[in-house]
Amino acid sequence: MSALAKYYYPRSLAVIALLGAGLWLALGETRLVWWSALLPLFEWMESTVFGVIGQTWGAAFATVQAIHLLGMALLGGSVVVADGRLLGLLLTDSPASEVQDQCHRLFIWALFLTIATGIFMACGVAIKIYYLNVFWYKMLALSGGVAFVYGIRRPLLRQGLDSIHPRIVKLVAVASLMLWFTVAATGRWIGFSG
Amino acid sequence: MFVNSMSVNQMIYDFAVWLDTHSPSTALHESFYMYNWIESTHVLALMISLGMLFLIDLRMLGLALPDIPASTLAQRLSLPMLAGFGVMFVTGLMLFYAIPVRTSQSLWFRIKIILLIAAAINAWLFHRRLRAAGADWDTMRKAPRPLQWGAGLSLLFWALIVICGRLIAYDWFDCRTSPIEPIASVAGCLIDQAQF
Repeated sequence: MSALAKYYYPRSLAVIALLGAGLWLALGETRLVWWSALLPLFEWMESTVFGVIGQTWGAAFATVQAIHLLGMALLGGSVVVADGRLLGLLLTDSPASEVQDQCHRLFIWALFLTIATGIFMACGVAIKIYYLNVFWYKMLALSGGVAFVYGIRRPLLRQGLDSIHPRIVKLVAVASLMLWFTVAATGRWIGFSG
Repeated sequence: MFVNSMSVNQMIYDFAVWLDTHSPSTALHESFYMYNWIESTHVLALMISLGMLFLIDLRMLGLALPDIPASTLAQRLSLPMLAGFGVMFVTGLMLFYAIPVRTSQSLWFRIKIILLIAAAINAWLFHRRLRAAGADWDTMRKAPRPLQWGAGLSLLFWALIVICGRLIAYDWFDCRTSPIEPIASVAGCLIDQAQF
């Protein structure tokens, strides 16, 4: 049995099981317990400097929203190119591992930018989003996306694409695209809700 | 100064009012899900089109994917980028069609259109320079200076386009709020116009 099969496949399955358990907890009755416990945090967020700026200075909020969108565009670009390469659709004449590594560096910057601007925006409308289901779906998708990247995708691909079954590689790429699409789509839907 | 005569603003206004009389325009505007689906598609297509564009521009500036030949990257990512821009263009037209009068008299929309034209000219010049530059520099970390300028301007234009696009949603300078001059003239507000 290869090191990959011995260590990384069980690890990936463990992360998937953990995500499943998180989803079950988030969508089951248990959610009401932690949801109530988080209300003081959201009330505090609105009273912070970010919250006050977001509520009183519309131009700042709108500009940060636009920067958030630019961050999402960069994140989308890095994910689409990296996964497009795994699917054999983009940059097929460049080494896959090189494309993965270099896109991951951009992904980290983009993720940092979107999370930083996302926190600012959340502070401005904290109580509103607290009561929006779609906001929690987005947080679930985002947590799932980050767990997927650092718990499954990166450790698996670090072993070298040659040692992984091609179908697994394609499955990882499709799952990644679906996860980040869900993050973006649920984020957009927050704007239409409430 | 408010424009009172048959001018460009009057023609734009008349055209927008004519579009507004179309029943599909009203239906699109009043359909919560359809309008939001179109707007979501417009924004999500940005992740493909601008995502690809940013990667190409950052590569030219030596800030991303430095080990991949620059012209290869530009060539390979052009198709998904243009597909994304195509979706953005079609959905953008539909969004304009849904709310033609307010959008055509939005200060931000007008600035966005000017920036789009500037970005298109910059892209055309960039591709001309890319073809003329040959392939000697292809594996170098940074592109030649003229291409770097083109990439930098492209990033700037598109960042401003996204900001203006986002600001269209806000009604600070809408004609019904009677904005001060010269904003009213630039936005194309007309005296005694009907409000939509």
